Amino acid sequence: MDAINQCTCAGHLAMATVPKQEWCEPYDCEIALTEGTIFPCLNLTFYKAPANQKKLKSCSSLSNKDERDREEMMTELSAISFMLNDLTLYLDTHPDCPNGTPLFHELLAKRLELLSEFAERFYPLTHLSMVTGEFDENRYGWSEGPMPWEGACI
Amino acid sequence: MFAYEKRLQFPVKIKNTNPDTARLIMSQYGGPDGELSASMRYLSQRYSMPVKEVGGLLTDIGTEELNHMEIICAMVYQLTRNLSEADVKRAGFDAYYIDHTKGIWPQAAAGVPFTSLEFQSKGDPITDLFENLAAEQKARTVYDNLLRVIDDPDVVAPLKFLRAREIVHFQRFGEALEMTKEKLDCKNFYHCNASFDKIGKK
Repeated sequence: MDAINQCTCAGHLAMATVPKQEWCEPYDCEIALTEGTIFPCLNLTFYKAPANQKKLKSCSSLSNKDERDREEMMTELSAISFMLNDLTLYLDTHPDCPNGTPLFHELLAKRLELLSEFAERFYPLTHLSMVTGEFDENRYGWSEGPMPWEGACI
Repeated sequence: MFAYEKRLQFPVKIKNTNPDTARLIMSQYGGPDGELSASMRYLSQRYSMPVKEVGGLLTDIGTEELNHMEIICAMVYQLTRNLSEADVKRAGFDAYYIDHTKGIWPQAAAGVPFTSLEFQSKGDPITDLFENLAAEQKARTVYDNLLRVIDDPDVVAPLKFLRAREIVHFQRFGEALEMTKEKLDCKNFYHCNASFDKIGKK
């Protein structure tokens, strides 16, 4: 007798399954950044971590208005960019999602705009943003601005 | 290829010097379940993934782990940048200081240097995806352990962010496992290694 054909087990033995995520309405992008995910359904918190969903602390201690503006814009850029990072991973496993795809394109355009504006007003964060924004071609630019690990607010 | 963008994925702005905290957090740079290990794991595994979309996911998560490595290094740097002579004499950071001064070097909290033995690239898609699911859980446990002993809100905010990423990545690797299973014989997922054997391709 063929033992395999006798087996009537439901599902698969010796294999694990993770349910596929269904779309859930994403957080506002600044909340998403502090929470570490754009999806409320994946925000499974640890009891010792602060649970309150609030935006990142602003750099209100900075006395120079230009620096304050720069930090505010950097926060906006980080929030939009993170939303894209997380949405990219979602779309890698849900390429046909009718909710995620239009949002992806909308965020891409917004991010490009912010990167260009940041380069124009402060300093370039990427090489490309020196081309997409108005940038003096006699200015090298790439060495300008604080290094990211310095924590610009301090 | 990789191109640098001059910012951190999550901002790190730590005011208070704390070499003890730095030594603990350093484990997520060079420790067994750290971000360097994570990034090298995924970026190494992607070449032998038979499902193209899964190779794409490994590239995207592996790249994100490089961002996380940079966040951890920035935290260690900011926690130690104003280190005094008195600080380095205190037990806890003194041994690290003797070998590295304030330089950033990948090691575990207990001082074991970074090694590629911490991660695996096995050349079998099922095995590698289970390695990744386990790795995300191990890293999540380390972040839980850090959050239990650290109170400085400037340090807690990025740790909370990084912990949440482990759970999202676990979910995505689970979905990648489902995508891989769809290409295999559902009566016996172990009939062959889809990355090596030329049989059983759907």
